[in-house]
Amino acid sequence: MSQLLSFALPGVPYGCVFALMAVGLVLTYKASGVFNLAFGAQAFVSALTYVSLIDGGWPRWAAAVIAVLVIGPVVGILLDRLLFRRIRTASPLVTLVPSLGLLVALPQVAIMVVGSIPVIPPPALVGNAQRVYLHLGSVPVSGLELSVTGATLVVVAGLVALFRFTPVGLEMRAVVESPRLTELAGIDSSRIGLAAWILSSVLAGLAGVLLAPLYAQVDPQNFTVLLVWGIAGAVIGRFTSLPLALVGGLALGIGQQILAGYLPPGVVANGLRPSLPFFVLLIFLPLVGTSRATDPLAGCDPPTSAVERAVSGYRSGATAAAGGSWESLAGGAVTSVGVWHRRLDGAAPTPLADRFTRRPTATLALVVGVVAVISALTWVPPDWLFTMNQALAVSIIFLSLTLLTGMSGLISLCQATFAGLGGFVAGQLAVHFGLPVMIGVIAGGLLAALLGVVVAIPTLRLAGLSLALATLAFALLADNILFPVSWVGNGAGGVTVPRPSAGPISFAAAKPFFLLSLVVLGGAALVVKLVGDGTMGRYLAAVRGSELASSSVGIDVTRLRVLVFAISAGLAGVGGAMSGSLEGSLSPDAYGYQVSIVLLAVVAIVGIGSISGAIVAGVVYEVLQQAVTTLPARFAGLVAVLFGLAALSYTRHPEGFLDVLGGRAERVIERARNRRATARQGSGSVPPPTGGPVVAQAGGMS
Amino acid sequence: MNAPALSGEGVAPAAGAGELESGQMATKGSILEVADLGAAYGPFDALFDVTFAIGRGQAVALVGANGAGKSTVARVVTGLVPATGGRVIFDGEDITNRSAHDIANRGIAHLTEGRSVFATLTVEENLVLPFRRALGRKAVPRALGEAYERFPRLGERRGQSAGTLSGGEQRMLALARVLVLRQPLVVVDELSFGLAPVVVEEVYAALTQVLDAGTSLLIIEQHVERALELAHQVVVLTKGRVAYDGSVAAVRGRLGDLVLGRGNEMPESAGPAPDSPG
Repeated sequence: MSQLLSFALPGVPYGCVFALMAVGLVLTYKASGVFNLAFGAQAFVSALTYVSLIDGGWPRWAAAVIAVLVIGPVVGILLDRLLFRRIRTASPLVTLVPSLGLLVALPQVAIMVVGSIPVIPPPALVGNAQRVYLHLGSVPVSGLELSVTGATLVVVAGLVALFRFTPVGLEMRAVVESPRLTELAGIDSSRIGLAAWILSSVLAGLAGVLLAPLYAQVDPQNFTVLLVWGIAGAVIGRFTSLPLALVGGLALGIGQQILAGYLPPGVVANGLRPSLPFFVLLIFLPLVGTSRATDPLAGCDPPTSAVERAVSGYRSGATAAAGGSWESLAGGAVTSVGVWHRRLDGAAPTPLADRFTRRPTATLALVVGVVAVISALTWVPPDWLFTMNQALAVSIIFLSLTLLTGMSGLISLCQATFAGLGGFVAGQLAVHFGLPVMIGVIAGGLLAALLGVVVAIPTLRLAGLSLALATLAFALLADNILFPVSWVGNGAGGVTVPRPSAGPISFAAAKPFFLLSLVVLGGAALVVKLVGDGTMGRYLAAVRGSELASSSVGIDVTRLRVLVFAISAGLAGVGGAMSGSLEGSLSPDAYGYQVSIVLLAVVAIVGIGSISGAIVAGVVYEVLQQAVTTLPARFAGLVAVLFGLAALSYTRHPEGFLDVLGGRAERVIERARNRRATARQGSGSVPPPTGGPVVAQAGGMS
Repeated sequence: MNAPALSGEGVAPAAGAGELESGQMATKGSILEVADLGAAYGPFDALFDVTFAIGRGQAVALVGANGAGKSTVARVVTGLVPATGGRVIFDGEDITNRSAHDIANRGIAHLTEGRSVFATLTVEENLVLPFRRALGRKAVPRALGEAYERFPRLGERRGQSAGTLSGGEQRMLALARVLVLRQPLVVVDELSFGLAPVVVEEVYAALTQVLDAGTSLLIIEQHVERALELAHQVVVLTKGRVAYDGSVAAVRGRLGDLVLGRGNEMPESAGPAPDSPG
């Protein structure tokens, strides 16, 4: 008993913080419809503020007040006003991408504002973090544990009082059930939503400040890791129940410490504890009802079906088929089978040459592509050639998301895991068995595909946000259990991946490797195009529209889903192997779950709906990172900031900026053509050019 | 942008029901005018040029087949779904595309299709929520007393969460709010849906009370005959358009055809509503 207690007690502060996170997540999710993954970033911002102020000589209580009650709410209000308020009814991908972007960008912005992370160990809120104040039985209780538990108890009591006894608490509970019914009672639900955001942000800030002393130094990484625990707590509360979320968070915190206490040391055992959230999510996510099930007025929202409407590039067949009566939505979804086909290649039977004259941007893209390839093989300096090589490799990984998320509407936050596995397999086979690297690349792809199947099967019932969270947790599991194993990722040591050769031809040098990468990327693009154009693509479009309607016309949704996961994971694996071979070695860090987050957000922002979107995303991603290295060190966070801004603008252009730019450019060219045609006809009065501002706009896009 | 306020006190008290009632009697005698109204759900157009008016103290029955756009009209009127065209005039003021809470505070109540009470809140909380907003904190106990007096069953169950009430009791709860606040216009969407016949009688008795108290009604009802008993006027919607707007007497006999969008070739059959549940 005392042993159990001695294991459980150190878990209490963790549990308290997880509980606060879970409650904060549920609060905003219910009150504003957004699952705020940026919560971890908000916690970090407050923790950083707290530590920085103390470093600057402020008393602890004052620093805490500023960090929790000022900075926290300010960030929350900004997020609500500028972003989340506008996307409450958007599709899962559209709500997810901005919060993923913020999760990555917000800490970098905060660090840039503060200057640098203070190196002092963060002190506890009250008392001395390390000192033992009392004993429970024989178990010592430190100041840290006391202050965290105390603060949490105060907050929980405050929350109970708020929700039970105050008008705003009552209104908040009403909004949580149905914002529209609340509006009909004459209450401004967006104002209450803002109050919920403020409250949630205060919880985020408090969680950050309380967590800070658990680590030697504040670090954004720790906060994202812990966020996953908060998510698991929120899922235990089924995204709806605040008390359950609270209990869930607390149980997780204590449970993981008990688990750690009783498990024997070893890679798997050490990995099991951080993977607990995955198992919790897997068990509890299927129990989560759809978020709007309890809102009797959900019917007021326009129908959103998966990425169907978000990625407006795939002009929804449902719209045309339904012909204004949206009751035939299901029928429309099935009809959209035929529409996907038209989209991917413009117009199916059009001759190639015709297509280029009809779509001038395609000509432009071709010219840019050819120039880029010729440049790479002639005058580009080595470091930039390396960047171009990286761009090709990462484009392959992006293509895997085009297939999975763009075409199929399945949101995956573990693509980097697949990529990593592919790379490790290629390296391990080459180093330990002396197999040719190209064989290893293929084997890596196959094994990654197998892993894709492993992920697909337990998550078959999940969609949208739930699938995203489950895959995120899976990525975390792989990071902790799979990658540290010596015969996979080899932990911190990483794996060496040689450059490939085929008989007498060596691809070791940069230029031959570039050509090889080009071929592999071409192959990957071909796979995606064939899948998209073929029967499978039509099935995928149908399933994306409506899973139910698809299965009712005889599409085997389960098989399709497993298959698309496998192909996508395979592509990612090949991309990861190529990337590893390029770099020469591969460490698990390079394919951690944060990378998956960034990958999804980047390709969504650029354009997840097309093959060209994936390739441009690869180029933009790598070139920007390389470009920043030429700038002074203090601009290191610039990419993250740009990325965050792009993620924010994403809500307005869910089809991706490539489509937006392309559309604008084509309109400009079209207008110029028309003008020329009018002038030639000699109709005398040429209308004043209207293309000017549009050109300026297009040029101004970042 | 509103100043962020955590408590309700900082906000100017909403117009009370009585004040609204006496205001702007100068207008033509219509409490609600809907003109050329259009609405859409995303890419799907639901309403086309819908035009009708409700006289003060009058009840208008809005009938039509499933998917004809009846509920959409109700939602646009109360601000739940944005209008894509046309105007909604309430009590002489243009309220088109105002926020739902603003419209509610001006005096239009909306009893939504299916459940229109908060299942997770108690009966009393369901009443306190709108009362506090409309009448101010001090008037809440008196208003609660009045509500429980009219519906003693609600008083017995005041501490119970509204989700555990029967369907009829939930309708009573929603109507209690309307009766106490005496809002000038109530939009009722499928009030009898899913209720036992006996309970429907009870609910309609309460609705008649509401009408007798001077409140105007917009009634959407699948039991068309029942709605017509109460209504002074009928508006028939067919595929999002007004197919008929006029007196109840004139439409008797050919309502079924109108609802189904058929011409006059069918023999007369005033029969049951074609949009019976299914």
